[in-house]
Formats: sequence, C-alpha cells, structure tokens
Amino acid sequence: MPEFDPVYLAIVIVGLMGGVLGVVGYLTLAERKVSAWIQDRLGPNRVGPGGLLQPLADGGKFFLKEEVIPAHVDKVFYLLAPAVAVITSLLAIAVVPFGPTVAPPDPQPTVAAFEAAQAEYRNHFSFVMAPGLDVGVLYVFALGSLAVYGVILAGWSANNKYSLLGALRSSAQIISYEIPLGLSVLGVFLIVGSLNLEKITAWQADHRTWLVLVQPLAFLLFLVSAYAEGSRLPFDLPEAEQELVGGYHTEYSSMKLGLMLMAEYVHLVTAGFIVSILFWGGWGFFGLENLLTDPVGGAVLKAAILIGKMLVYCGFALLIRWTIPRFRFDQLMNIAWKVMIPLALLNLLCVMVVLQFGWPLVVLTGTSVLSFCGAGVLSVWLRGSVTNPKRPVRKLPPGLPAGVTYASR
Amino acid sequence: MAAPVPVQTPAGIEPAFDLAAYYPILIYAVVVVAFGLGTIAASHLTPFKPRKPTRVKQMPYESGMDPVGSARMQFDIKFYLIAILFLVFDVELLFLYPWAVLAYADGGDPTWKTVFGGVVFAEILVFLATLAIAYVYAWRKGVFQWR
Repeated sequence: MPEFDPVYLAIVIVGLMGGVLGVVGYLTLAERKVSAWIQDRLGPNRVGPGGLLQPLADGGKFFLKEEVIPAHVDKVFYLLAPAVAVITSLLAIAVVPFGPTVAPPDPQPTVAAFEAAQAEYRNHFSFVMAPGLDVGVLYVFALGSLAVYGVILAGWSANNKYSLLGALRSSAQIISYEIPLGLSVLGVFLIVGSLNLEKITAWQADHRTWLVLVQPLAFLLFLVSAYAEGSRLPFDLPEAEQELVGGYHTEYSSMKLGLMLMAEYVHLVTAGFIVSILFWGGWGFFGLENLLTDPVGGAVLKAAILIGKMLVYCGFALLIRWTIPRFRFDQLMNIAWKVMIPLALLNLLCVMVVLQFGWPLVVLTGTSVLSFCGAGVLSVWLRGSVTNPKRPVRKLPPGLPAGVTYASR
Repeated sequence: MAAPVPVQTPAGIEPAFDLAAYYPILIYAVVVVAFGLGTIAASHLTPFKPRKPTRVKQMPYESGMDPVGSARMQFDIKFYLIAILFLVFDVELLFLYPWAVLAYADGGDPTWKTVFGGVVFAEILVFLATLAIAYVYAWRKGVFQWR
C-alpha cells in the first residue's frame, strides 16, 4: 500500500499507538500476575474482575500522584529524559509490520514489467505504517541506539549517585549488546538480501521455512541481545534494586516514572515483533495462515498469528524474568564481548562461505549447532574462566585484629 | 502521490528513491513527540494532584541518609574504553551492512557476481581478519577485563 493517504495514516497511527499502549498496560498486569503465580501469591485482584482493570487504575494513579522534583536536579534534562525514552521507543514501531504484508516488487527487466509490478503492488494492502522502506531493520536499530540518550540524560540530570551509576551501567550494557545484536542478524540479511521486513517475511513464506531453522545460533544471540537491550532481567543491572534502588529512575516520580517504565515495555513489544518477523516467519504458520481465503478473514487470521507470536515472545520474557537470577556486571560484559561477539562473527563467516560456494542452507543449521556445542565444550574445558574469571580474594587472618577486643559486660 | 519513477540499475528497472515513502514516519514522529511532551506537561500542570514539597523530600535520595559529597563524581575508565571499542565495532558493522544486503541478493546482474563475486568475498575476509586482529589485541590488552 504505497499510496499516501492521510486518513488511512491517521487511523493506523491512532490504532497502533492505542494497541501498543494497551498491550503494554496489560503486560504490566501479566507481569504481576505471573510473578504472583510463580511466588505462590494472588497478585492484583481487586480492581475489576480478576484485577483486569488494574492497568487503568495504575495509569490514573501515575497521573495523579505528587510530582516530586528534587531541588538539586538539572531541570530541563530531568523533565526531557522520560520524553526521550518514550519517544524513541514508540517511534521504532513505525516500520514494523503488525499484520499481513506484501513485499515491494523486485527489479524488473523491462519498463512494462516494472509498471505492471508496481500497479499490482499498489493494489495490495500492507499492515505497516510506512510500507516499502528499504532501511527497515536499520531504522529500528538506529532508534534502539537513541534510547541510550533517555537513560543517560535521566541518570546525569538527577544528580544522584544511584542514578548516575545506573545510567553508566545501562549505557555500557546497551552499547555492548548492540554489537552482537547487529552482527547476529547480518546472516539473515545475507540470506534474504534485504533489510525490508516485508521482504524478509515474504522470503520465509516463499521458502516454506522459518529463519530460526536456518540460523538457530543467530536467533539465540539476537534473543539474548534483545533482552539485554531492553534491560529485562537477567540483564536488568541498570536498575538492580538491591544495589541501586531504582537505577537511573531513582529520582523520578508520578507520570515521568510511568513513561520510563512504559518505554521499557514498548521496547519489549517492538523486540517481539522484530523477532517474530526475522526468525519466526512473520504472519506465516506452516500454511495454516492460508486456511481462510476471503480477504478480510485471511488478513485477520494473519494479523492474529503475528500478534500471537509477539505475545509468545513477551510471555517468554516474563517467565525468564521470574526464573533466572541477575548476572554480576563483569559477567554481563564478558558474555557480550568474549562470547557473543566471537560466536556472531563465526556465524557470519559460515553464512558467507555457504552462500559463496552455493551449498544448501541446511548446512547452516549444522554449523550453528556445531558452533554452539563447540562454545559449550570450550567453556567446560576452560572451567568457565572466560566469562567468570577467578579473582584474587584477600583472606583475613583468623581471630580479631590486633588491639581489638570484644566488649566486656 | 505520483506513480513511481522507473530507474535503470544493474539489477534491472527499479523505482527511483522517493522521499514520499518517509512521510508517514515524519507525521508519526510529530504525533509521538507531541504525545511524549504532552503527557509530561499535562501531568505536571494538572490541578488534581498534591503539591507539598518539603526540604527533606527535595534532597537526593540515598536510602534515608543525608547525602555525602556531590553526585558528579569520577567513574571508571572502563566505561570510556567500552565506548571507544563500541565505536570501532559499530562502524565496522555499518560497513558490513551494505555488503550483506547486496552480495547474495536475488535478481542481481549474474555477470557481476561471476566477475566480482570472488574478489568481494576475499575482500570481506580481509576486512573481517583486521577486525579479528583488533579484537584479539583488545582482549590481550585486558580491555574486556572488569575488576
């Protein structure tokens, strides 16, 4: 649907923002319900049937709570930071398909064929805000990097030690994990030959496969980096409550805190869509998506499949959050720099060689599994000294230091 | 919007670059910026919330203690090193992206691939080797070591 229509665009913008914010609201409820379920509690159950209206109550309360602006903050940046966070996270979703799409046509040999292909393309309707953009995934990554600004502005302007430490940790973590994030999906772009998310979906539909089967290692690296980018636990060092209170949003209150938290969940939703499209076949589900042949029913079914995949990703994130404990910061950095980057480079090299010599893509599944197992064997052989090196521990001599005595009664 | 303008490229006839494809993003950006700033402004200005600042409430939060010293403190050099390394790797990555999109795409000119395919492959191998050398150097220098 490359025809530019303001009315259509307005509907999509309102629908998409409403949808995403609704999903975000109910993700917070789901998070609290899942955590309650895992910890054998009840969770929120007073507002509405089974707590279903809790997100609305939370939103209202965020809005109406007292806004404490500490006297020492850098006011402009302090007020701007939550806006930056939420704007960058919401903007990223502009190129992400949220339903069935049609790929823009390939280059044609003649002008007549070109005209025909373009006319055919314009007859179809794509569920994307900005369809047919060649930059596609690159745009999403670019806005993901901009999210660092929200974090570092918040941490710096709050003039609080916890905030500063949280912001530093967070920015170091986000930029570290951006490299494996970008490197791991290079293999996908090599195979498909496009950054356009609609084309990547169409490739998977044409080849009747999901890229997770061709690139399992890349999928794993991407998944881990995406969690780290979104600061989801086990990678939530920036706001490790036991060490840093709230991390970079320690000094925030009221709606500004709400926007910060909202930005994190919007990241999760965007990452869910991206993973579903890059690796899980987008709106395809082993031919099941073609069951309904009428245009409206088919579109609804495909959109439901894609959104279902996104929700599966989010649910997986929730389960992981309440299952796996947090890493130590040096372990976190070691995983990014010493494990994931070499593995991603190795994977890229495999894809290059396989494509250059025209071997079948199944080979890539094998090389992925082999690299993964090789990394595991290597780590066992080195006794984990790469990610968790032994550090010198200074042992105190037994007994009390000289000149110190127990208090006598 | 007018029909796309055909342009002859080595791959065939493609639509010319059209900025109109980016209009939705521009409009969406305006809406989202308005949403972000508007929410903060509305929440800041609404009359339905308590405003009772006290001296203690406006102190930096340090778990109930009176704050000691300034928060604008020095921090570890490691963070700078990570930032510089990130620049190196990210720029390398950016150079790899155009190649990744073009190198093995369908619909390209087949003679191009037979003539230049091997050369490009070798060049990228050299490129990755330089990246690997820089990586090993950084590792041996202990940049990745957090103490």
